Amino acid sequence: MLTKLRGGLKTTHRRAPRTSLDGPVMNPLALHLTRSSSAQPAIGSMSDPSKPTVEFTNLAKDTVLRFMEMQGSESLAVRIQVASPSPLDPRYEFTIIEPDEKNPEDMVLDGYGFELVMEPESAKLLNGARVDWIETVTESGFKVQNPNLAPIGSKPLEGPLADRVRQVIDQIVNPGVAQHGGRVTLVEVRDNIVYLQMGGGCQGCGMASVTLSQGIVGILREQVPEIEGVEDVTNHGDGKNPYITASK
Amino acid sequence: MSRVLLLLSRTSYRAEAFVAAAHRLDVDVTVGSNHRQALAELTPGGALTLELEDVDRSVATIVRFASDDPLAAIVAAEDDFAQVAAAASAALGLRHHPLEAVRSARNKAVMRRRLETGGLPSPWFHVASVEDDTGVEAARARYPCVLKPLALSASRGVIRADTPEEFGRAWSRIHEILQQRDAVLRSGHAVAEILIEAYMPGLEVAVEGIVVGGRLQTLAVLDKPDAMEGPFFEETILVTPSRLPEGVQREIVSCVQRSVTILGLADGPVHAELRVDGERTSLLEIAPRSIGGRCSSILRFEPEATLEDLILHHALGMPIDEFRQAPGAGGVLMLPIPEAGVLLGVGGSASALEVPGIEGLEITIPVGQTVVPLPEGNRYLGFLFARAATSEQAEVALRAAHARLDVRIERSELDFRNRA
Repeated sequence: MLTKLRGGLKTTHRRAPRTSLDGPVMNPLALHLTRSSSAQPAIGSMSDPSKPTVEFTNLAKDTVLRFMEMQGSESLAVRIQVASPSPLDPRYEFTIIEPDEKNPEDMVLDGYGFELVMEPESAKLLNGARVDWIETVTESGFKVQNPNLAPIGSKPLEGPLADRVRQVIDQIVNPGVAQHGGRVTLVEVRDNIVYLQMGGGCQGCGMASVTLSQGIVGILREQVPEIEGVEDVTNHGDGKNPYITASK
Repeated sequence: MSRVLLLLSRTSYRAEAFVAAAHRLDVDVTVGSNHRQALAELTPGGALTLELEDVDRSVATIVRFASDDPLAAIVAAEDDFAQVAAAASAALGLRHHPLEAVRSARNKAVMRRRLETGGLPSPWFHVASVEDDTGVEAARARYPCVLKPLALSASRGVIRADTPEEFGRAWSRIHEILQQRDAVLRSGHAVAEILIEAYMPGLEVAVEGIVVGGRLQTLAVLDKPDAMEGPFFEETILVTPSRLPEGVQREIVSCVQRSVTILGLADGPVHAELRVDGERTSLLEIAPRSIGGRCSSILRFEPEATLEDLILHHALGMPIDEFRQAPGAGGVLMLPIPEAGVLLGVGGSASALEVPGIEGLEITIPVGQTVVPLPEGNRYLGFLFARAATSEQAEVALRAAHARLDVRIERSELDFRNRA
């Protein structure tokens, strides 16, 4: 994801590619964190319980101020927007704004050394989030840890619904896809949506989407009727031995 | 709820795009393929196994299936199943191109004869069997010419020859390619034929459209900015909208419409490729299908829709007149395979994705697999996608991103004949 700062400055906060490991989907930035920073007290809840709480680390706050200084900005306001609320790929946009770019309905927090501006929907989704600035050899950017949009796979796989889905995958789906050298792993069940990962011959297979839509979805709908959707979180580009490689 | 039968070749790039489009339209989907789907026996109605080589048998299977699960449309994603889709649609009274028109368009030699007979300005051409005497054929040819094996597709085996000596070398090379296992299967073990036609100079363009009741609805005109002068004809960049003057684009569309009419294509997608040389527009070929590979993803329409959405809309009897190409420009670069060998990896992808305008990169051949360039090869390394305000910007972005990729291949001398 690109974290944009108005005025031509750009810093990168790359979209997190989904891991190909048989484990939870992780944000690679979390794996490459090279600098730590102490947290700024959360702003919002102490003064006005109706306002969201958004925490900035000292480093994140200093970085925003540095960007503002570099641009000669006098506004000292930054807007955060949730550009994509999908738990598969949550994305945020940071923009330094001028005073006349604030809207009457915006939520405005201060106490960081600058004003933090959010439109109401983003403010709701960002409540409880923690913003940090990280720099690695290959990338730098704002990293938002947001409990409301926790990446798929970050929550423990437990509960009766997850157990039933796992049972269907283990006992019905996997024996079927094993004929093509494939396997399916349950990653998470959230809000009655099943998130799964395909491996072996299914990973990168040209017909994986057909196996999912015409096979797995139907089986899960029949066996676990309360399931409302099935999402494939596989990085098919990392498939080493797909059963079928597309060529036309 | 309506049910649509999607016919997908086992090596289709298009499965995901078509299945997603069907779900957006809220129709039930059955996937027909020459490949037994995993879990097919556990989800009746979800998949049909068909035979590419036996059209009658596949049609019988579809008609039998439709007696229990009525079909509202049959759509073939690629050329391979176009005849099955046409014949089964005719048997069930569904909207589709007629079988005869599809047969004509699928065979480049038949297509050339019919277009010429129908009055479309056509290049000199001649059809020979690969078993014919090379020297006789080389003497008969007019130069420069292009040799096109009829059993193959997507520029595979297509070679330009400017002299009888080059003709002989091209002929031998095609002979070798046609002995590859998949080529033998595609030609149905029959003696393969080669279309020899005059080389047509000029810029190459493509037209994407849907024929509605015999009338072409043009969805996009795409430029191919890389010179395609041979000896091989590797497709690389496609950008749309076209930068050609409006008058030239009108002539291009008119040429495609005339070809549609002559061949009798009536209802369904068409993909045409043409050469534009000054005032002169010549049809290279027209196929009763939509654009191949992952290229359809650069086509966006308003109201918001994909190419696959429009194809299904039309097949299901819904109007598509209101759809227009969305503002802005789209481009795709089909990543060429630089040399034969084993793919070790593609570096620089993060850097390529940083190029402004680049929307995506897909490497579609897994690391460790054999890669073969044209004219022997039959697949691309992958695709780079761009979106920009103008076609120029999209093209610049694609070239810049491509330059950042480092394709690592362990070179090897391969015996192509045994390759699947």
